[in-house]
Amino acid sequence: MWMGWLTVELWGVQIVGMALAVLLAPLYVGIAQTVKARMQGRQGPSIWQGYWTLSKLWRKETLVPEFSSWVMQMAPAVTFGAMAVVVVYIPWGGSVPFNWPHDVLTVFFLLALERFWVGLAGLDSAGTFGGLGASRILTLGSGIEPALFAVFGLLWYLTGRTEIVPIAPGWWRHSLNILPWGLAVVGYVFVAMAELGRLPVDNPDTHLELTMMHEATVLEYSGRFLAQSQAAVALKFTAVIALGWVWLGPTLASPWWNLLLRIGELAVTSALLGWFESRTVKLRYLRLPAYLSIAIGMGMLAVYLVASRGGY
Amino acid sequence: MVENERWIRVHVERKRAGEQLLSLTGDRERRIRSHWLLPDGRIEAESLICEEGRFPSLSVSLPEVAWDEREIHDMFGYVPEGHPDLRPLVRTPRWPDSFYPLKERVAAPQWLDVEPDNPAKVVEGEGMTVMKVGPTHAGIIESGHFVFSIMGENILHLDAHLFQNHRGVEKTLEGLTVTDARPFVSRICGADTVSHQYNFVSAVEQLTGREVPEAVAWQRVLLLESERILSHLNDLAQIPAGVGFTVAHQRGLAMKEVWQQELAAVFGHRFLFDAMNQGQITMSGKERFLTALSSLEREWGKWRKLVDRQRGFHDRMRGVGVVRREDADQLGAVGVALRATGIRLDVRAQMPLYRHVQIAIPHVSGGDVEARFQVRLQEVENSFRLLRTALEQLRKDATRDDWQPPVDVTGEAVGYSESPHGLNAHVLQIKNGRIERYHVRSGAYRNWPVLALAVAGNAVADFPLINKSFELCYSCADR
Repeated sequence: MWMGWLTVELWGVQIVGMALAVLLAPLYVGIAQTVKARMQGRQGPSIWQGYWTLSKLWRKETLVPEFSSWVMQMAPAVTFGAMAVVVVYIPWGGSVPFNWPHDVLTVFFLLALERFWVGLAGLDSAGTFGGLGASRILTLGSGIEPALFAVFGLLWYLTGRTEIVPIAPGWWRHSLNILPWGLAVVGYVFVAMAELGRLPVDNPDTHLELTMMHEATVLEYSGRFLAQSQAAVALKFTAVIALGWVWLGPTLASPWWNLLLRIGELAVTSALLGWFESRTVKLRYLRLPAYLSIAIGMGMLAVYLVASRGGY
Repeated sequence: MVENERWIRVHVERKRAGEQLLSLTGDRERRIRSHWLLPDGRIEAESLICEEGRFPSLSVSLPEVAWDEREIHDMFGYVPEGHPDLRPLVRTPRWPDSFYPLKERVAAPQWLDVEPDNPAKVVEGEGMTVMKVGPTHAGIIESGHFVFSIMGENILHLDAHLFQNHRGVEKTLEGLTVTDARPFVSRICGADTVSHQYNFVSAVEQLTGREVPEAVAWQRVLLLESERILSHLNDLAQIPAGVGFTVAHQRGLAMKEVWQQELAAVFGHRFLFDAMNQGQITMSGKERFLTALSSLEREWGKWRKLVDRQRGFHDRMRGVGVVRREDADQLGAVGVALRATGIRLDVRAQMPLYRHVQIAIPHVSGGDVEARFQVRLQEVENSFRLLRTALEQLRKDATRDDWQPPVDVTGEAVGYSESPHGLNAHVLQIKNGRIERYHVRSGAYRNWPVLALAVAGNAVADFPLINKSFELCYSCADR
């Protein structure tokens, strides 16, 4: 059965997009780190440091705590796998070339699966801080999930579909639509910072165990497990930012140009994130529910604004 | 019995009269001695002989000596009768039962091969978790073992086990001459070294009746205030790290590093070790120092703007790690921790060294992390002014201080000063030029129990922030 030229091209873009997402993920994290270092008045490590670290960890000895089980050893692979599937679902060329189910709920589920396994790994690592981090990260998750749904509500209302598809091109350029669009963007930025464990929610660079969330759950990892876990974090970083741009950013008609646009957007967003993180401080843990309720509120308000005037 | 009641009464009366406790310690002659600093700057002592190795505990009526009495118990074996909590403080289970390091002139005994942990005080009950942190930590810091009793994200109780490294500081100093003791005293800790050096020199000078020349006094002010700035810059830069405010953290540390390099160039050592007798400022040093000071003040201005504007940072500091005024007074808090509660005490006001200058004490209250941050900010700026005054005074006179103490010094004296971490006192007992007993009671030693109290009731995630706002020295507790 001939798929048609467009489908072939879409498959090509999709496969290249997926490969680039995996390959460039450490670079995007590196960009954010370099911007942060410069703002602190440091030269900082090379922008490629993420790759050196991964290759070093891969060659180093892998130790596991005496009282841990297979769960801890499985977790890095599961989390990396979950993020890799999210990357498959992202329409790198503007739309996906396949028609098997790729519901946005699946993406939310994969994010929740990742969080669940990170939490399990923290508990199973049998350290002092793993349980603390797991408790925090799972508690936070119960706020992240409704916030994701609230922000997605606008997309669902506008497109009538639950797949990952961009809003109709040009919708957000209409002056009446700017406000709900802006609200959804702010809501997504809030929830993405929480999902990615960046400031002001979690500080990925700290050495203070008592303040850690995600880092506390991976403290006991070493060698290849740590490498997998870091690769998963980088891939999640790429996937969550790319999802935001797919949903709320512009889409180009040409699949290849669209892919190029996503890569550029990812680099710029990483730099912006580094800048933003340098200008902020970590919130009190007990303030986080209020922080996430802002994201929920923004998403719901965006839907309400569009719905109250009978759609767009 | 009558003697015992008198012992407790006089101490409570002294405390009530607004006197400050300088030290409480024992010696080999079964004496327990306390020294008090009167508001007018005089020092008075109380003394008691341990009958049958026992002495009445003051801890119930004077909680600030709880650690001192436990330490006497561990080091000499004298039992403070009626002490509410006589768990080991310095001792570890590895010491044989008969081993009391300061009591006799014993060589190191055979250490026992057992776990070194001392019993911890924890809260028990449903939903309670005991979380142990340290003694080895993730960052480059010293050894301290913290046993937290937590319920969810709340700390109910903190039992801090310090004294992890047994350096034998006081033991080592016994038998040394003044000249030989200097390098050891200088290295009691890296944060308050000038203050330690000054206390020692001042105690020796009191015993020999030396009148310190004006120029030498200004040299010492210069060193003490340079150290205060160095230490405060470090402590101020550490606080933002507790809340992920990395820009202020790194830029603050960079500012401290430049200052430290300048101090090394002028006084001969990055941490100012041995600076009081070897690192006297020269004519060319003064020029360099003045330039360094001006450039530090410029950088300081920029850094202050950065931290003053970050509102989230101040939000994190407010209402966290609160020390109540009454508790600070009861537990004998000193230094920044004390002044942050609104009690305006600074022993520089009593020190003869500072008699020609007015010491400005910051008007801050609240006792939280923010208050301690603000006290330090103001003290750094006050020290800038003191440095300029001292430099002005030293403009013409650069005579070197070549004074050597006579070889047969004998007697007992207490040297005290306001170190960056608060009132620091040394007790020196010396006979024919050889040290009989040396006791150190530093600012950090006094404030550790205050920190434990300030932490209780706060969130687990706020502990690093509260800890950094005290930034206490572990080394001072490593006996």
